[in-house]
Amino acid sequence: MSKILEISHLNYKKNNKQILNNINLTLDSGKIIGLLGANGAGKTTLMRLISGVNAKNSGKVIVSGIDTKAGIKSCVSMTYSLDSLKKSPSRISAGTKVKNIIQFYLDIYPDFSFEKYQEMAKFLGINSDDKLNSLSTGSGEKLMIALTLARQVPIYLLDEPLNGIDIMTRKKIIKSVLQWKNDNSTIIISSHYVKEISSLLDEVIILKDKQIYQTIPVEDIQTQYHLGVEEYYEQIYEGGVSNE
Amino acid sequence: MEYIDNIPIYLQIKDILYRKIISNEYELNSQLPSVRQLAVQFSANSNTVQKALKEMTDENVIIPQRGKGNFVTGDVTIVKKLKSHIVAEMFDATYEKLHSLNMNDNEIMESFNNYVKQREVNHE
Repeated sequence: MSKILEISHLNYKKNNKQILNNINLTLDSGKIIGLLGANGAGKTTLMRLISGVNAKNSGKVIVSGIDTKAGIKSCVSMTYSLDSLKKSPSRISAGTKVKNIIQFYLDIYPDFSFEKYQEMAKFLGINSDDKLNSLSTGSGEKLMIALTLARQVPIYLLDEPLNGIDIMTRKKIIKSVLQWKNDNSTIIISSHYVKEISSLLDEVIILKDKQIYQTIPVEDIQTQYHLGVEEYYEQIYEGGVSNE
Repeated sequence: MEYIDNIPIYLQIKDILYRKIISNEYELNSQLPSVRQLAVQFSANSNTVQKALKEMTDENVIIPQRGKGNFVTGDVTIVKKLKSHIVAEMFDATYEKLHSLNMNDNEIMESFNNYVKQREVNHE
């Protein structure tokens, strides 16, 4: 397995407030990784720093051996909130349809696979003639997942893809991630539904106190501590875990 | 899929697949679904599925064929062994519980016989 992501001494401040402090992280290709942390722990910020949406204050981010901003953007596919898409005024009007968004992705991302998108859209039940403004939260997240995974890149960042969605749709999104993941690509997924995603994960990254508290294989949590991922994570936040 | 949180997923997947082989849902010499199909079916990632399949291969229960996928063994004695192993595991747990009620072997045997007879009566 080769290194897909190398982060060293990464710092990020916003309005003079430290958000992330000295982040160091190395990930292998081909894995699915859970990014866990309380609200405000910096999960979204870390993803935005990896994808290059936010500019870091100091430190290094290397994706697939590339460290230029333009290069990284072509290696990373991240979910954005549909609201942020709706707010970009140049492209979205009241009548904007799903198919206009697909065209937008085709225009700006040369790695976007229309074929892959169509397969996922069929599975998830996304109608390309629906208006963007009329989509429910669940439909919006389904669309975002399909758009994000249809790009052919080494690393995918899924930021809370299950939030505000009913259980049947959550299961469907999880299945589509497994069905359409390339073997060599790496997926980082953040979610408060720790129990539901834990069977998906090779490893978890736990963010706490502006830092990476730990990166640990799920299997180690189960065999060394005899805990599930959710219990382990909660115990870390409550003050620590005793090794048996 | 409902998993037990604190047991490695690959072990739970292996257990489910073994039960399907023993119950003949996956017949001798038949082909297993692909890794990706199993991953989707089990809501687990393909590395985890592959780890389960690797152990099943090491235990000679399935046989990978180059470019074709994984096949259940054609050797009935291997499946029989697997079955007696799983049955023994089930009995282990029950026996321990009955033993802890201060029942001796004769009492355990007798109550089990009665239990089976009672079930037969209830089914008639």
